[in-house]
Amino acid sequence: MKGILKSMMVTASTFARKPVTREYPEGHRELPERDRAFPLLLWDQDIDEPFCTGCHACERACPVECMTVIMKDNPNHTSNDGPSKRRKIIDKFYIDYARCMRCNICVEVCNFEAIAMNNTWQGHETSVYDRSDLVMDLPQLLAQSKAKQIEEWVAE
Amino acid sequence: MSTEIFGIEDVNVWVDGLIRVLLIVGFMTVVVMGLIYGERKILARFQQRLGPTRTGPIGLLQSVADALKLVGKEDLRPRNADPWTFELAPYLVFIPVFLGFVIVPFVLDWQIRILELGLLYFVAVSGVNIVGWIMAGWGSDNRYAMIGGMRAAAQGISYELPLVLSLLAVAMVVEVPAPVIDGAASVASDSEYVRGSLNLNEIVAAQHEVPNLVWQPLVMIVFIIAALAELNRTPFDIPVGESEVVGGPFVEYSGIRWSMFFLAEYAALLIMALVFAAVFLGGWAWPFGIWMDDAPPRWAQALAVAAKAGAFIFLVFWIRASVPRLRIDQLMSFSWKVLLPLMLVQVLVNGLVLVYDWPLIILTVVGLAGVVALAAIVDRAVRHPRPRPAVAAQLQGEAAS
Amino acid sequence: MVVDAPTPSEAGDFETQDLLINVGPQHPSTHGVFRMVLEIDGEVVKDLVPYIGYLHRGAEKLCENFDFRQGIGYMDRTEYLAAHNAELSYVMAVEALAEIEVPERAQWIRMILCELNRISSHFMFLGAFGVDVGVFGTPFIYAWREREAVIDLFEEISGDRMMYAYFRPGGLAWEVPVNFEERVREVLASSRQGVKDFDGLLTENEIFIARTKNVGVISAEDAIEIGMSGPSLRASGVPLDLRKTEPYMYYDQLEFEPITAEGGDVFDRYLVRLKEISQSIDLIEQCLERLEAGPIMAEKMPRMLRLPEGEAYMRTEAPRGEYGIYMVSKGGNKPHRVKVRSACLSNLQALKQMSVGQYVADAIIILGSIDIVLSEVDR
Repeated sequence: MKGILKSMMVTASTFARKPVTREYPEGHRELPERDRAFPLLLWDQDIDEPFCTGCHACERACPVECMTVIMKDNPNHTSNDGPSKRRKIIDKFYIDYARCMRCNICVEVCNFEAIAMNNTWQGHETSVYDRSDLVMDLPQLLAQSKAKQIEEWVAE
Repeated sequence: MSTEIFGIEDVNVWVDGLIRVLLIVGFMTVVVMGLIYGERKILARFQQRLGPTRTGPIGLLQSVADALKLVGKEDLRPRNADPWTFELAPYLVFIPVFLGFVIVPFVLDWQIRILELGLLYFVAVSGVNIVGWIMAGWGSDNRYAMIGGMRAAAQGISYELPLVLSLLAVAMVVEVPAPVIDGAASVASDSEYVRGSLNLNEIVAAQHEVPNLVWQPLVMIVFIIAALAELNRTPFDIPVGESEVVGGPFVEYSGIRWSMFFLAEYAALLIMALVFAAVFLGGWAWPFGIWMDDAPPRWAQALAVAAKAGAFIFLVFWIRASVPRLRIDQLMSFSWKVLLPLMLVQVLVNGLVLVYDWPLIILTVVGLAGVVALAAIVDRAVRHPRPRPAVAAQLQGEAAS
Repeated sequence: MVVDAPTPSEAGDFETQDLLINVGPQHPSTHGVFRMVLEIDGEVVKDLVPYIGYLHRGAEKLCENFDFRQGIGYMDRTEYLAAHNAELSYVMAVEALAEIEVPERAQWIRMILCELNRISSHFMFLGAFGVDVGVFGTPFIYAWREREAVIDLFEEISGDRMMYAYFRPGGLAWEVPVNFEERVREVLASSRQGVKDFDGLLTENEIFIARTKNVGVISAEDAIEIGMSGPSLRASGVPLDLRKTEPYMYYDQLEFEPITAEGGDVFDRYLVRLKEISQSIDLIEQCLERLEAGPIMAEKMPRMLRLPEGEAYMRTEAPRGEYGIYMVSKGGNKPHRVKVRSACLSNLQALKQMSVGQYVADAIIILGSIDIVLSEVDR
């Protein structure tokens, strides 16, 4: 009997405490800057083109092979009287978010700091009705960075 | 034949009956929906959660939404289920619970029917729903359901006894005005009062000054334990144990049939709370000498009943949030080896008080001693667990080899 | 399953048949996709047949195609409730093969994170176990509350809540945040409150004791024979704790004693885990005192790690027992063979022996008390 009363006192003490529930869809918790959602590509605001040169480093390093990269010659390159120093640039980039396991390796292997893990809520709330909608193409991958909605975190 | 309702004379009996049934069903459905919402909110607070918040202001419409959802769901029946048993079971669980409402004294002189043998009637109808549980368990053609149904039967029958004995112990010694026969006092005694009544109204009236909780502490605790078992509430939710038999007899039910079980469960809780308030806490009477001289006004009576029944229901929720589930064998031995002997002793003492007209304070002393004995027995049982039965040891030996 | 022919009951008046019930793979108490078939006579379990493999993803085989950084992510997924501990075994095996000296700071941080992971994993156990025993949700929410605090901290450090991928051969992927120490202390304070709540809620509760004492007893000899490890073994009275008996990292510099119990029953397995949370809190505080600034990655790590030929078996004390990685390298940047020694799989072998002869309700809590993670059993 004593132990049961003690249990009931414990629950009574939690009755008096403040609830710990996070009311998720209404209020979003602030994410830590290192938060890793799915990877996305970054936009070079100075020259107005992606950082990515399509070098395939991330594609090769990806353990789940969720990336497809196709490069092309950069039309904005200085040889074409453009402002950019990038000889090659990304043409098509697909990431299958349904396969990605968010291991951060693509970010680590990138030589141009062109890819980053999304650390905003947009990166987490990716539910769709059709699984094939999770295959992101280049404009979708660049959109958030282009609109300056993301401050990527870079490990030193 | 005609009768009288709400002061209107000369109402046809059938119309009168219909009005009363509609009143109970409407009242109970609304209260049960409130209870479900209340349980979810209160349990949530015990667990540092918020509970329902999204349907209506602070989630108030959650039960309505649930009810609508359940009504809209498809009524499934497993192919191999026994059609009659399966489909009749919810009614057999549901109707006896409703019948129990007939005798509940909500306020003074305002109930469905005043029955001289009200308590007996209550005990009788509340035992019937076990048949529905067994039918649900058997008819579903599901092994979880069958185990759950059998557990429900074993548990229901075992705990009926302490429940009946606890109500009997109270009814034996309650002081009621001597019945008046043909203008003369009863032959039983010369005093104005006699002891013993099964009429719930008289039991409530007898507690006008001191509630039975003072005279019968042990009986009250046994009643609470037996009521928890009758209601299949934690720690006695063995028939529906989520982690073992995943819902027990209800596992194959869906939609409206399932909601009838659910409704019956909470309605039974409500009746049990009202009976508890009437038998042990003095029903509509106010404590501490408020409105001592004459009966309190109707609204105050209703408030008192609601508060007392609410306290019982809150206790049930509180226990649900705090204690684990017992095992079926422990449950049975607790009933037959602990509660029943204790209640028999209590009934014996009450009988002595009744016959020799001893002062009631003896009951309090014996009751408190009984509470201590109960605690000591539980404590001892926990500290000295019995060795496992030989069959288990033998089976274990076979498995090891 | 073959149903035995009906046997005459002891009374001899009518024949009874044992009932087979299938528990899982979708059942609230099987902690994942475990399945067991119980043969019951009334409420007594006469036989139990476990089935595993519903969550087999071939992690060991997959690792043969991965270099040593890619494999880490898969180790997380073999043991998702204590991913840091799983990663640790893997990177330690790689480090042993490549003979890499890991800097001190990295080691201390690894120890802190592994102990924190032990706390969160044990809380998870307490919550799930409390629900198995039949408390409606309360222990589960208490456990979730505390686990959430730990996981939030992990998210701030590594960026992910469950699949951290934070350890690397040679050290850590990146430096911890600047407020690391104070955040750890905050989490420890809340965990302490959680231990207190659980202690009050369950340890002395008579019903809980009645349900768990003398249930699912396994003797020390049997436990060793079956190959159990971790808290489940220590509850039988064997003081085998790899952190003490075979210290790795800097556990030899810390002061602690393996927590054991005598009975080997369900209650003891619960109590050992509850006490281990307190012990881990204490260990983390000792680690924090010794934590100093410094590099977090071994010097001269090549961009792509190549191992010499050889083989290594590194085992660590994960929350559920001995989690070991046996790695064979034939040179090159990929392992030739990786074998995961799963603590849960070995502990699960004791299930039948513990459950037969008990009641159905006991079989459920015995399974809960072993604290299995199905992804580790099936891999």
